[in-house]
Amino acid sequence: MPVKGIKTVSAARNGVGAFILQCKRLDFHYCNYGGSSRGMLAFLTQTLPNFARENPQIEIRVSPRHSKHPVIRGHYINGREKAICVRNLEPKDILTKAMILKDASGEKLKAQKKPVTSLNESVRGIWSPYHGDLRGV
Amino acid sequence: MFSRSVFRGLAADLRSFTPISTSTAAPLRQRAACFHQTSLLRTQQQESSSQSSPTNPDPPLSASPRAQTSQPEVQHSPTVPSYDPSSPSSTPKTRADVPLAKQPVAPAFESPLEVSKSLLSRLPHLVGQSPHYIVAELHARPYLLTEGDHVRLPFLMPKVKSGDILRFNRATALGSRDLTMKGSPHLDERLFECRVRVIGVEAEPLRIKEKTKRRQRHVRQVRSKHRHTILRVMEVRVKTPEQLLEEGAVVVEDSEDTSRIEARS
Repeated sequence: MPVKGIKTVSAARNGVGAFILQCKRLDFHYCNYGGSSRGMLAFLTQTLPNFARENPQIEIRVSPRHSKHPVIRGHYINGREKAICVRNLEPKDILTKAMILKDASGEKLKAQKKPVTSLNESVRGIWSPYHGDLRGV
Repeated sequence: MFSRSVFRGLAADLRSFTPISTSTAAPLRQRAACFHQTSLLRTQQQESSSQSSPTNPDPPLSASPRAQTSQPEVQHSPTVPSYDPSSPSSTPKTRADVPLAKQPVAPAFESPLEVSKSLLSRLPHLVGQSPHYIVAELHARPYLLTEGDHVRLPFLMPKVKSGDILRFNRATALGSRDLTMKGSPHLDERLFECRVRVIGVEAEPLRIKEKTKRRQRHVRQVRSKHRHTILRVMEVRVKTPEQLLEEGAVVVEDSEDTSRIEARS
């Protein structure tokens, strides 16, 4: 007897029932010596504790990376990661970059023309010439 | 049919009395609870999370359970409506932290909902036949939505955060396989409920457009990278005739400017 795969009953649609933020981890890398990390060091001491408190669902890791530019790296549920270099940025700008990573879905950036994508079948069905009334022109 | 601007003015008058007492604010708050349950819903989730945090000895940098459930059962209005602007917290946790001037205004309807007899007689058939679709409008653009759809708005919606729940209140049509309820031109927002959840913000790939001027060898590159708000449709629901009558709908004779339900030909 051939092995049959189990047919999926439903696809995961985040947000219909429960909502799970797609960003699961943010890594903050900085350098203690480099001048491009100056804003990042200020951010880590001043802004990051509040940011972490407001987003308890995100794991936050801070680690030094010697003689490299500071980087924020986001890890997502779908397994991908996104990194933004924040060299020479002010703490305020670094916060906006962190917000970008927090709100992102983790997918690759795509151009999309149609606003709505649906997994559901068409509600009204497919039009057929053989059904329904005849209509005059 | 109804104008919120009138009520907004009234609400502003209410707020101008600076020592606003809880007793005057309470009915307004309760109405807000029944119409805008969703905005309250989020605040409660945050409230519950903030309540749980002191019992939890974890340091603030550690991760905690991630899921937000969507339908909390109990809805209690916050007791302290005062707002302390001197507090250093950057984002409000509950409705109580939001200043009165910025709280959502419950829609005030000047007249009760008018439902024609034919609509009321056909409504049970529409309610019973699922799934439903809705043609909801946002900034005068129609979006044909069903439950579970993924919507990428053509703009970045301001002042929303991921996890927020919005309720669409402007629709031109709502239907099922065989029946469609059409507005003239819009359906009354008391006839249906359509909720969407803000999932996040996505960007498009960087666009580079080359600009040239005549007789110059220089080519200018213009870069743009738009950002879009992503929504997920949580529910599309028509109210039953019983619910409408319970909420104070008035049955009127059929006329041109009432909503109607049309069968598919």
